[in-house]
Amino acid sequence: MPGIYIHIPFCKHKCTYCDFVSFPNRLNFAEAYMACLYKEVEMRARELEKVVFDTVYIGGGTPSVIDPKYIYGLMKKIVTCFHLTKDPEVTIEMNPGTVDAEKIAIYKRAGINRFSVGLQTAVDSQLEELGRIHTKADFVATCRLLKGENFSADVMLGLKGQTKADVEETISLVDENGATHVSMYALTPEDGTPIYTDYLNGELPDGDEVASLYDYGRALLKERGYLRYEVSNFCKPGFGSRHNMNYWKRGEYIGLGVAASSFFFGKRMTNTFDLDEYMKCILSGHFPVITSEEVEEGDAKFEFVMLALRTVFGISSKAYEKAFKSDWKKDFARAYEATRQYFDEEGDTTRIKDEYLYVQNQILTEFLA
Amino acid sequence: MWRGGLFSREKISTGETVAILREKRYNTGMANPSKFLRNFCIIAHIDHGKSTIADRIMELTGQVSKRDMEEQLLDSMDIERERGITIKLTPVRMYYTALDGQEYEFNLIDTPGHVDFTYEVSRSLAACEGAILIVDATQGVEAQTLANVYLALENNLEIVPVVNKIDLASARIDETKQEIEDVIGLDASEAPCVSAKEGTNIRDILEAVVKFVPPPQGDTDAPLKALIFDSYYDNYKGVILFVRIKDGSVKVGDTITTFLSEHDYEVTEVGAFAPALQPKEALLAGEVGYIAASIKSIEDVEVGDTVTNALRPAKEPLPGYKHVRPVVFCGIYPLDGSKFLDLKEAILKLKLNDAALTFEPDNSVALGFGFRCGFLGLLHMEIVQERIEREFNLDIITTAPSVSYLVHKTNGDTMSVDNPSHLPPVSEIDYMEEPIVKAEIFTPPDYLGSIMELCQDKRGTFKDMTYLDTRRVKLEYSLPLNEIVYDFFDELKSRTKGYASFDYEIEGYRRSRLVKLDILLNGDPCDALSLIVHEDRAYARGRMLCENLKDAIPRQLFEVPVQAAIGGKIIARETVKAVRKDVLAKCYGGDITRKKKLLEKQKEGKKRMRKVGTVEVPSEVFMQILKTNKD
Repeated sequence: MPGIYIHIPFCKHKCTYCDFVSFPNRLNFAEAYMACLYKEVEMRARELEKVVFDTVYIGGGTPSVIDPKYIYGLMKKIVTCFHLTKDPEVTIEMNPGTVDAEKIAIYKRAGINRFSVGLQTAVDSQLEELGRIHTKADFVATCRLLKGENFSADVMLGLKGQTKADVEETISLVDENGATHVSMYALTPEDGTPIYTDYLNGELPDGDEVASLYDYGRALLKERGYLRYEVSNFCKPGFGSRHNMNYWKRGEYIGLGVAASSFFFGKRMTNTFDLDEYMKCILSGHFPVITSEEVEEGDAKFEFVMLALRTVFGISSKAYEKAFKSDWKKDFARAYEATRQYFDEEGDTTRIKDEYLYVQNQILTEFLA
Repeated sequence: MWRGGLFSREKISTGETVAILREKRYNTGMANPSKFLRNFCIIAHIDHGKSTIADRIMELTGQVSKRDMEEQLLDSMDIERERGITIKLTPVRMYYTALDGQEYEFNLIDTPGHVDFTYEVSRSLAACEGAILIVDATQGVEAQTLANVYLALENNLEIVPVVNKIDLASARIDETKQEIEDVIGLDASEAPCVSAKEGTNIRDILEAVVKFVPPPQGDTDAPLKALIFDSYYDNYKGVILFVRIKDGSVKVGDTITTFLSEHDYEVTEVGAFAPALQPKEALLAGEVGYIAASIKSIEDVEVGDTVTNALRPAKEPLPGYKHVRPVVFCGIYPLDGSKFLDLKEAILKLKLNDAALTFEPDNSVALGFGFRCGFLGLLHMEIVQERIEREFNLDIITTAPSVSYLVHKTNGDTMSVDNPSHLPPVSEIDYMEEPIVKAEIFTPPDYLGSIMELCQDKRGTFKDMTYLDTRRVKLEYSLPLNEIVYDFFDELKSRTKGYASFDYEIEGYRRSRLVKLDILLNGDPCDALSLIVHEDRAYARGRMLCENLKDAIPRQLFEVPVQAAIGGKIIARETVKAVRKDVLAKCYGGDITRKKKLLEKQKEGKKRMRKVGTVEVPSEVFMQILKTNKD
């Protein structure tokens, strides 16, 4: 079912690997920005009157860095303007260095029922290296506040000097503090970020080393009862992220806020990355969309395959047929033949074998025209 | 600008006959070419300033205004400008008012300097009466200088030596002149000393041309005899023939043919090189120019052939050039198998003005349909490959260079094999012979040891060593050509910091213990990577090949064994490990379009690969793999 994504582009300090749209120096714009965001909610809701949304995801930046009253106001606005299901999943991203009991209480009152905590690693020296503003102790404190809640922790692989023991320490910490969900993803050194220099200097673990850490982490998570359901996502049974699953099913979503992306009625749209321009547009009653593209059928089919194969559920022939009125094995006959040895098939589903999930680009490129 | 000369820029109304034209031009009543015409070329070692001097001469004669000058005008190919070398000969016509007050018409033909293009040089020489020989005052006479001088002398050209780069602090003007006299045996007392870079004394060169280069001989009234010294294909005009008229004349409307052609053609345009094509009414004996005659079939024209009038043909053709034989071979395949016909078209068009290029269709299990091409040398090969890619916008795969072996079979037959995959089974081979070259290496004495070691390593046989002076030694070696074609030149340059120069000619064939080395990828033999090597080298080369391939082949979803084998026996093995991480870490709402683009980019990279059996191999591997992996 469709989801709503909200982007909060503020943070205390930019992490060394971050290439997201986030403005560490402009926290004083928060009030003005949130006012615009409320207005964008109203504008969009008018267009999507008949749509029922199942999830809300407040991401960033660091949404927890701004005064929680704005988050409360935002949720109020969303609930008023959009149609949500009876039991929506509402997630907020948090940095452990920015949370206290009061904030969490307000979030809960606002209807937020899922939390995503950016831990990255349990090793303080590595946190410092990443430019994170929190420590391992901060994470433990945050978890205490979230006791009994549905929350996820982010874990990063491929950090400078990271060992298997470090990964083990991190995963134990996450489990022992009650996380229901873990996002364990490999650091991608993006050009233009400070960490890219480390990458160029060969100071980061190479692909093989990251793969070893991943396999090790995956085994530990399994032991502790976290099931892999997507390349980088693991959960205790029943705690998968509905919001993210919607992306991988190629479901519709509306993105609100600066740099947010939407996919609706077969069109992909992106809002401006410029904070001032965003606000100017909203205040003058225009959508701040800078790119809007109709996805052609061939591309749509490929997206479907690309996204579905990220998950352990794989491609459902029925779901594909429902979406495109055709048989994916015929649409991609050549690619399917060339790669079928890497698939497990069961009933109407085709999934990448466990051992090939982490090398899936090799398979996906076959499916590109 | 009209300079009151006697020449044909004067507008002549249509209908005027060649006879009137001739009378107007020469005003002598005799059917001889003008005594004010000079056809000459420039010969020099690479980098001695040939193209720069040509530019200065054109500037001085007002052929091109300084403003319009693009550096190195005659080197019109991108590759030529980038590499700073001349590959194709390029003619240009100029007018020069000499100190005697007379206006002269000059036809200058710029020529390549590299050893591989000697053939081109000999073609331009045949169109001239004289040659300017440029010698760099800081370098002196070099190997290639000599080679070209001998060519010019063979063609009975008058040689005008010129000392260039006198502006440089290290210029040794007097010694250079002495060297010209001692080594070449030319009188250098009147040699102009110039700086092409600064434009110093350029006029002296032109005066020397007027004074020393004789005007062309020939009979304007005789039947047409024109030597085709080059040609190219123009999309609108058809084949453009570059000709030197030896006898007779040709004008628009004439019906021409060539001695080797079975067709007649009506001339649609004749003209001079300015240096762009500039139409004129007619070309007369002694002149250099071009002919267009709607010749559509590029196979119909062969450089070196003689054009004549179809209605009034000459009895015999001009001598033409000696046919050159290719010595280096490689396979050329389209990267995209469906572009085979485009590749064919491209090679045919290149062949049109590169007579030395040979080709025949070929078929490889690994690479599909393509061509086996023959070249005069490695640089020639590289240039052809580059021209195909650039001028015809085709992506190609080339295999490692090979030479032509003589295979003596047990049944008494002899065959020549330049493609390792065409070698008959070992049981049918009695013995094989390989081509040997006579190599001359010129070097400062400091590098002698290193060079001798290199030649030894390449199975060379020492022949002779001569001290030319205290700073220069000439080494002579017999070397198997197949040792030279891979990396000899690069090695030589790197061992001598670029000081040594190297020239070679085919000496003959020699019986040799040769074996075919096969490469197997994931158990499947890859014919495009097979090699013929000397038995003693097989193990070392097999190991090197496997190591290089291990690094060059990207990791795939499965482990790939890379093996070298001789006659079914594995002699070396390396393993390309399976890839362990190739995944887009995160893919949420905002990432989808971006991730799709990343995959598309990855796919583009894959398109540059060839599937050999089950293994993806980057296309450049086939060519590069033989370069030793030293930096």
